[in-house]
Amino acid sequence: MSTEHDRGRPGRALRAAGRYRGLVALGVVLLLGAVVSPRNLKTGQSVFLTATNQSNVLFEYAEYGLLAVGMTLVILTAGIDLSVGSVLGFVATLFSYLLIARGWALPSAIAVGLLGGTACGLVSGILVSRLRLQPFVATLAMMVAARGAAKMVSGGIKIAHGARPWYAVQDAPPPIFEWMTMPAAGGWLRPVTVTFLVTILLMALVVRYTRFGRHLYAIGGNEEAARLSGVHVTRAKLLAYVLCGLTAAMAGICNACHMGYGDPEAGFTYELDAIAAVVIGGTSLMGGRGGVMLTLVGTLIIGYANKILSLIGWQEAQRLLAKGTIIVLAVVIQETRRHR
Amino acid sequence: MRHAGLCLLLMTVVPLAILAGCPGPGKSEAPMIPPGSELTKGPAATGGETSGEETYTIGMSQCNLGEPWRVQMNADIEAAAGAHPELEVIFKDAQNRPDDQQAQVREFISQGVDLIIISPKEAVPLTKPVEEAMAANIPVIVLDRKIQGDNYTCFIGGDNVLIGREAGKHMVELLGGKGKIVELKGLETSTPAGERHQGFSEGIEGSEIEIIFSADCRWLEPNAQREMNSALSRFSQIDAVYAHNDPSAHGAYMAAKQEGKGREKAIKFIGIDALPHEGVKYVEEGILSATFQYPTGGKEAIEAALRILKGESVPKTIILGTRSFTPETVAQGGKEIPATAPAGE
Repeated sequence: MSTEHDRGRPGRALRAAGRYRGLVALGVVLLLGAVVSPRNLKTGQSVFLTATNQSNVLFEYAEYGLLAVGMTLVILTAGIDLSVGSVLGFVATLFSYLLIARGWALPSAIAVGLLGGTACGLVSGILVSRLRLQPFVATLAMMVAARGAAKMVSGGIKIAHGARPWYAVQDAPPPIFEWMTMPAAGGWLRPVTVTFLVTILLMALVVRYTRFGRHLYAIGGNEEAARLSGVHVTRAKLLAYVLCGLTAAMAGICNACHMGYGDPEAGFTYELDAIAAVVIGGTSLMGGRGGVMLTLVGTLIIGYANKILSLIGWQEAQRLLAKGTIIVLAVVIQETRRHR
Repeated sequence: MRHAGLCLLLMTVVPLAILAGCPGPGKSEAPMIPPGSELTKGPAATGGETSGEETYTIGMSQCNLGEPWRVQMNADIEAAAGAHPELEVIFKDAQNRPDDQQAQVREFISQGVDLIIISPKEAVPLTKPVEEAMAANIPVIVLDRKIQGDNYTCFIGGDNVLIGREAGKHMVELLGGKGKIVELKGLETSTPAGERHQGFSEGIEGSEIEIIFSADCRWLEPNAQREMNSALSRFSQIDAVYAHNDPSAHGAYMAAKQEGKGREKAIKFIGIDALPHEGVKYVEEGILSATFQYPTGGKEAIEAALRILKGESVPKTIILGTRSFTPETVAQGGKEIPATAPAGE
């Protein structure tokens, strides 16, 4: 009955509208922000709508966004990656260690940092795809281990210039830290933000237009059916976790630049925000349904919601309540489509 | 597993055997041989390289070495004990688990240490083990956080109200008694954050300093950066930031700097804690205008331990003062502010 209904014209129209429900939810949050935001005392303009504020949100949530992009690929296969927060912390410390403590050149420090994160993803991927471990368990193990690696690399302290007498860099933070986080000349976009936006765009294209992307949906939809119809399930899953490790590594490097040091505790519980961004965007935790651009919407919803609550200066208790409500509302707007 | 068991067995049995072996004969044969010779021989045999002095073993149970401030506490204890070759300190880390910390205290008791220093995670679960130690005639020094009741030898801790008040008074001085400031709080429901807020309010009382924005940053620097971004986009005039810990003050500075308008040069930042690699370094670099030390009490704990072990009496409660670090005083190691300073100065 319902399949017949879906084929009809009203069903198609509904589905078309459904596709933009994420944007509707984002629009609602934006509108809310514009209405309740405090106004600039001089110009009377809403603080929330200023370019500076918009650029701040994109900058502050770029790291979460990068984690969420990789997470989307994994969740599309009906998996989960709990290790991204720890991998972020590991790469932030590894990158800072090489750059500051060892005095490596920037390109090699970036390369090894990215490799470190990718290796974590590779290990998780092998555990999940080849050894058939539950993604939850395999990546939980990686979450614990990567945090340990971060603490080992850092020796238990934040790696900053001059934190230890033997560090190669003593006087000032490496120039890359400032370069990545300062608004580009005249504009308001920072290189960290650009990294996030370019990555999300590239990943969206990969997922939408490559065979690998279509395989992710097939695996998430029905792994057995995908296997029987010739999809190389193991390879596609492995690649999803590897890419997730890579985006977590990028987030780690951004985090080191953002904070001005490599903090072994960085990224603690970030995996939850990343998963929330993916789900609020509209990607199903059951796999096979969703997309990378939806995750951008989800990240922005979380970012805007937090920013509104922060701007109006509410205290913690009301904030947590409001945040929970906003998340539920966003998901309800998403979900109505499926129950019809 | 088997090795770990063996190690544990050795760790408990060997010191027990030594303890049982030494005083036993000492007591019974004391009248026959000159007193002191047994005491001298015993500890020397256990590895102490002192010349004729008795050696002591102190057990130190730290609740969580994941926090830099607690790492500093252990470092302070180690440095202070290092000056006394007769002291040996065994460090244990409970990794934020109260049940592990209970076990550690009981291990120290069965190991027969001479004194226990404990910086407890929670008051309630650790009250009983500390009582057991006291019952076994092992003195206990409680550091930083209290336990329930008063069945311990000595409590040593800092005074967050005093520190907050000093920060407030410094803020008044810094701004000439007038200005708009942002307060970045620690975890609002925690006692230290409450006291640092209360003290600060007392410190700025009567001045024309106005807190125009405040937020709960849960002691975390990323949160402080985000909240400061909000404050910066909302207010065109911010004269200073009071943060409940140095990482939050640093985060506020980074936010102002990354805004790209150079406002970090005009805004004054004040933090608390003054760890050598955090707050003090930030003052040296000109990032913070001031930071106030929250003392770890490590050095004072070793001083108290020595007096207790020599049979002298110590006060039941020792409240520590603070130390302010400003660009002017940081080179001389800060300025001491004693705990007994009158409120009005």
